[in-house]
Amino acid sequence: MIPYILYVLFALGGAAIYLAMPKPSGSQRRAALILGVGVIAGLLALMSIHFVAPNSNNFFFYMFAGLAILAAGRVVTHPVPTYSAVYFALVILCVAVLLVIQRAEFLAVALIIIYAGAILVTYAFVIMLAQQSGAVSTDTRAREPLMAILVSFVIAGAIAGKIEQIDAVPVKLTAQVPQAVTDVPIETALPATEMESGHTKAIGEIMFGPYLVVVELSGILLLIAMVGAIAISRKQVPIEDTGEPKLPVGQIGREVPPF
Amino acid sequence: MPDPSSYILLGAILFAIGMVGFLARRNLIVMFLSTEIMFQGVVLNVVAFSRLHGRLTGDAFGLFLLVIAAVEAGLALGLVVLLYRRKHTLDAESWSAMSG
Repeated sequence: MIPYILYVLFALGGAAIYLAMPKPSGSQRRAALILGVGVIAGLLALMSIHFVAPNSNNFFFYMFAGLAILAAGRVVTHPVPTYSAVYFALVILCVAVLLVIQRAEFLAVALIIIYAGAILVTYAFVIMLAQQSGAVSTDTRAREPLMAILVSFVIAGAIAGKIEQIDAVPVKLTAQVPQAVTDVPIETALPATEMESGHTKAIGEIMFGPYLVVVELSGILLLIAMVGAIAISRKQVPIEDTGEPKLPVGQIGREVPPF
Repeated sequence: MPDPSSYILLGAILFAIGMVGFLARRNLIVMFLSTEIMFQGVVLNVVAFSRLHGRLTGDAFGLFLLVIAAVEAGLALGLVVLLYRRKHTLDAESWSAMSG
């Protein structure tokens, strides 16, 4: 029964995103917003009834989960890339709060620093660098939105149906997982005291203990990516003739008299 | 703390929304922003599974996911700048001649 309610909610959510997609005739934003908020409310109500123990207080989870879904929907439907980036920052903050609720404080702070501090600024620079004047058809017309929504939400529906099936079987995995089935080192088990006092120390001990080689490999990967990004963006490219008149060098922008 | 099922459902929804953006939008920058939303769904998922098992493996995996996201953003944006300099447009469909 529950999976079918989820499928209906996903179908309605897909319809909301379809309505909000940028179209040449103008998107029905108000209808999409009402439908989307209704779908999110239904989804959170379903979660609170079905997935969560009734005595737990999860107000912040529902608030920020709903906000994250709403902001993510706006990222993919906003016709102005700059606003998409700002809504993406909102998604990041909501996900960081959800990680704090799960007691993953270090990961939440790292998420804010890396995404909101580094990646988003890079996006903002590229948006400024490659800004096109006025509304262009790239942003005002989506490419096959119906098929994209169909494919994506069928995948999400398949995952959601599986969640229901797993819950139907009373499997309770706790910290006492037999060592034979999990080939993770025993040091990664989370002591109860670490859960009480935050897990930054514990995650440091894992990263520089069993996963030291992976940390080194990540550093090498970042170095390779940096070399690659510099090599790509410094490359001399022939400008293909797009039919636009080319400005001579030094005449781009307004003229300012010296001092 | 809510049940991990709620987080897995939320991760699936974020993944689906990001996939819609990647498939349907034509602006290269917005397409890559959508992949970052998919990453957020995955990070929520691995941390939820980590809590389900009472271990920290998922948290460590989430940190490595952040590394991959940073690498992906750097390379993708370098590529976007290169493509923009060639055609002076961010339209992904202007490169459809490559599909043959």
